[in-house]
Amino acid sequence: MPIDMTHIERLAKLLETSGVTSIEIDDEGQSLKLVMETSAIGMTSSVRADAISSSEETLVIAKADVAGHFLATHPWRAKPFAEPGQQIEAGAIVGLVKIGLLYAPVLSPAAGILDAITAEAGAMVGYGTPIASIRPTAETA
Amino acid sequence: MIEILSALGPTSVQDLGRFEQYRFGVGTSGAMDDVALRAGNILLGNDENAAGIEIPVTPFKLRFGRDRAFALTGAEVEADVGGRAIPPWWRSRAHTGEILTIKAMSRGARSYLTLSGGIDVPVVLGSRSTQFRGEFGGFEGRPLQTGDVLPCAAPNPSAETSDLGVGPADLVLARPNMPAGDTTVRVIIAGEYDAFDSTAQKLFWRSGWKITPQSNRYGYRLQGPAVNPVSPIEKRSHGIVAGVIQIPPNGQPIIQMRDAQTSGGYPKIATVIKADMWRVAQARLGSTLRFEQTAYADALAAEDEVSVYLDRLRADVRLFAELQGCR
Repeated sequence: MPIDMTHIERLAKLLETSGVTSIEIDDEGQSLKLVMETSAIGMTSSVRADAISSSEETLVIAKADVAGHFLATHPWRAKPFAEPGQQIEAGAIVGLVKIGLLYAPVLSPAAGILDAITAEAGAMVGYGTPIASIRPTAETA
Repeated sequence: MIEILSALGPTSVQDLGRFEQYRFGVGTSGAMDDVALRAGNILLGNDENAAGIEIPVTPFKLRFGRDRAFALTGAEVEADVGGRAIPPWWRSRAHTGEILTIKAMSRGARSYLTLSGGIDVPVVLGSRSTQFRGEFGGFEGRPLQTGDVLPCAAPNPSAETSDLGVGPADLVLARPNMPAGDTTVRVIIAGEYDAFDSTAQKLFWRSGWKITPQSNRYGYRLQGPAVNPVSPIEKRSHGIVAGVIQIPPNGQPIIQMRDAQTSGGYPKIATVIKADMWRVAQARLGSTLRFEQTAYADALAAEDEVSVYLDRLRADVRLFAELQGCR
């Protein structure tokens, strides 16, 4: 789905009402970043035409699909969702993005061995921010 | 429909409660932790009064008869559906035939399973809650047993069902500077408070009260130093509500809970405020409860805090669904 103006307006409105300060979207070679000015209701946007090329061929990347703060561990628990070296299933939760009172899961796109959690705990992440790298098992690679 | 494969103790169907029949002596029943039940229903786009299952004992196991979204809130449990681990306070989706297993409860005392659409047992006297004392409501008026098959109502077709968690009430509504391990609840002094002298009153406020194994949906029996009135009080039975703390002749307080009788005659020293009843509901057997005196206005403010938490939850769930729709 290409990014069009109505989507941008809608996203801007959501940013405004949610108190989230920025959002980043990568979609079919387009990338969009919306940043809310904290002082005014102004908004800057930049659309880059170049596609983001993946730097690692052997790793698959689990990405955030919503903007918020990254959590590697559920706040009630001591152990993170996944640790490097651990075997994980496709669709396994590798972390959470906290948005308001909600925790949206970041899911592994493939089965494999967790290589690393690349996002920093507590860091602000956006749509498409890489969260974890996974070395897929041979069958699914 | 869902089929119960394993249920222990007083695991039961509960909604928010039965509030219109109190004057006839029919207790409210309803979820002991109503905040957790509401949160689960909000996640699922259900009516917040939709009936769920209150699970006070593990293991618990059930099979889904068809694809259905569900949520687990309340106590922290180790749970999985079809082998996929379910984090705390979480919405997920089960496929036809998959089994939900709740293995262990590591924090809190009651887990709530809510289902998209809600459990569709008949409404009796205005509620789907199980009335243990009267043996009506819920599923055949009794605790759930292995082999029970519960009907579920049609899900809300516009509700999102992707995996999503919410901040547990005890994190978001945590009160600052509370001693770790104990549960402190706010109370308002009640009718017979002045019948206790200052020594007895101090004992009540300053003691840690152990929740005995004789504590359940009817009431929590507490153990500590004997708190006795200056002279014995014998009152005629009069109307009481959940939260009332009675002092029977042995001086050991009893907190009335959701299945309590609607009347009693023991002297009332205090009443737990409504906003803290869910904290009592999640306090574990053997743990320590403490009472903190509060004023009526502060009790109302505490209720507002719970309302604000639930309002934010509703707003955030709606916003998140819109964000998903944007893509």
